[in-house]
Amino acid sequence: MSAVLDAHGIGITFRNGDELTEVLKGVDLTLEPGELAALLGASGSGKSTLLSIVGLLLRPSTGTIAIAGQRVEGLSEVERAVFRNQRLGFIFQFHHLLPDFTATENVAFPTAAPAGGMTAVMRQRARELLARVGMSDRMDFRATRLSGGQKQRVAIARALMNKPELVLADEPTGSLDRVAADQVLDLMREINREDKATFLICTHDEHVAARCTRRITLKDGHVEGGPQVAKPSS
Amino acid sequence: MFAFTVARRYLFSNPAQTALLIAGVALGVTAFVFITALIQGLAIRLTDDVTANSAHVSLEPMTRVARVLGSGDADVESIAIISTFQRRQIRAWSSTVELLRTQSAVSAISPQISGSAFLVKGEAVAPVAVTAIDPAGLDAISPISTQIVSGDANLGADGVLIGVRLAEDLGLSAGQPVLFRTDRGIDRLLVVRGIFQTGLESLDERVAYISIQTARPLFLLPEGVTNIEVKLFDPHRAREFAVFLHQATGLRATSWQERNANLEGALTAQAQTGTLIQVFSLISVLIGIASALSLSANRRRGEVGIMRAFGVSKLFIAAVFILQGLLIGVVGAGIGCLSGFVLCSWLATLTNPDGTMALPIAPSEGGYVAVFLLTTLGAVLASVIPARSAARLDPLEAIQQ
Repeated sequence: MSAVLDAHGIGITFRNGDELTEVLKGVDLTLEPGELAALLGASGSGKSTLLSIVGLLLRPSTGTIAIAGQRVEGLSEVERAVFRNQRLGFIFQFHHLLPDFTATENVAFPTAAPAGGMTAVMRQRARELLARVGMSDRMDFRATRLSGGQKQRVAIARALMNKPELVLADEPTGSLDRVAADQVLDLMREINREDKATFLICTHDEHVAARCTRRITLKDGHVEGGPQVAKPSS
Repeated sequence: MFAFTVARRYLFSNPAQTALLIAGVALGVTAFVFITALIQGLAIRLTDDVTANSAHVSLEPMTRVARVLGSGDADVESIAIISTFQRRQIRAWSSTVELLRTQSAVSAISPQISGSAFLVKGEAVAPVAVTAIDPAGLDAISPISTQIVSGDANLGADGVLIGVRLAEDLGLSAGQPVLFRTDRGIDRLLVVRGIFQTGLESLDERVAYISIQTARPLFLLPEGVTNIEVKLFDPHRAREFAVFLHQATGLRATSWQERNANLEGALTAQAQTGTLIQVFSLISVLIGIASALSLSANRRRGEVGIMRAFGVSKLFIAAVFILQGLLIGVVGAGIGCLSGFVLCSWLATLTNPDGTMALPIAPSEGGYVAVFLLTTLGAVLASVIPARSAARLDPLEAIQQ
């Protein structure tokens, strides 16, 4: 089975006036299907930057990336947007749900917007996903009426809506209390285990990393311990 | 269309703000409708006042000009002398009238003999502009018979109709005889059959109507007429129709607009002022829409960022904001047109103590279609800037904020 993520020599340099800052200096990273990987590193180590590059939200200065066997560095802006929509899932620290829409509508949004409308099939899948994340009783609640943990569950369901090959989570429990954070982590572990969904979770929290199947640590713009080769999920 | 659903949700998410925005648009449109109806109403009233008692096109013989006859290098030249005694006239007026009768734009035709005369009553003498017409077509150009305040409008063979001011000046009343003296020095005793009051000082003080048959010997015109007055169904076509008549008959054709150049200038200036006010009211509406949508786009940066992150196209984001502008424009313009019509209709019912309209407003002339289309189009254009700004948001930057 081919790697879900195969990144080589990823480097990025930011310019601030005359000052150049090299944040990533040739990162090599591979993720196999079904991995639940924690991307660790100190603040400013470039883990969010790496996540953004893998999520096609940022173009690297150097390196190559293949996601599910497809090279993506040469894609146009429109093609990258389509790729993100169809093959990647995102979970952010701040859920960024659309406050004027219900939980079901939020989950179905990534499919409904490109299709030009929400079909019964989309609605059905959104409701199934909400049930999957334990939100059966809040499906028709507006996002503003949900708690922080509930919103993050909806965000997880939304990330899974288009059956992505890779789910990228940036500090998904960062804005939650410990209980809610544990519930969200348990949910992601469960989805990873049962659905064989591949997760790359960016976190600075050892507690989160400890519950993942693999740790990838960034330090000084490199992956600590040399190139990271995937290990099968337990 | 899903973008429409999103746009609608965004607008309904803050009903008070949306209501205020729509109210602002509606107010601007109401002002536009009011100004348009007022200016059009004023123009209609002034035009009606001017054209109600006069012809829309007047046909007269071309002005005669003295000229040198023969070639320029001839030793002996002769000069075409103009007889000042012979009155200018349209001899073939019957054929011209026949031509006019075939024109669908013409509503009334009145061949006339116009000239100057004096009315003499004892010691009192008053100059008058004489209009000699066919008694059967007395009201063709000016509704004189409806404006008779004393006597009647039956001219007969020896009758004359005079204005109320002229009657006062000469101390005349209906039924009294008066000496009629033409500019050719021919006298005839006529009877004042009726006294009219048009409300226009120039007519009530200076004009006298007699029968065209009575006028022929008095003005030494046994066959011809001096002018043919024409009324049209649409007075605004007078200028182009005058050009047509001049080309068709060779006569000098003067439209009412040419005769009232000052009025036309005033109406044009008034229309230009109104246009300025309309433009400013539209601009203020559009600035309101643009600023409100810009604020909305800014407030929703996070949401737009996440949409872009999960691959929603820039076009979709732009469509959401443009559709908000469209909705605001359509609803605001619709309400504004309706409230403008109601306001103008109410103002049109207000009257002065003498029964005339307090405001010369024409509710049907509010420019509703124009303002609706302009506002809707403008609202869409005003939303383009915030839409572009939202669509161009860097998703990463927006999410991190």
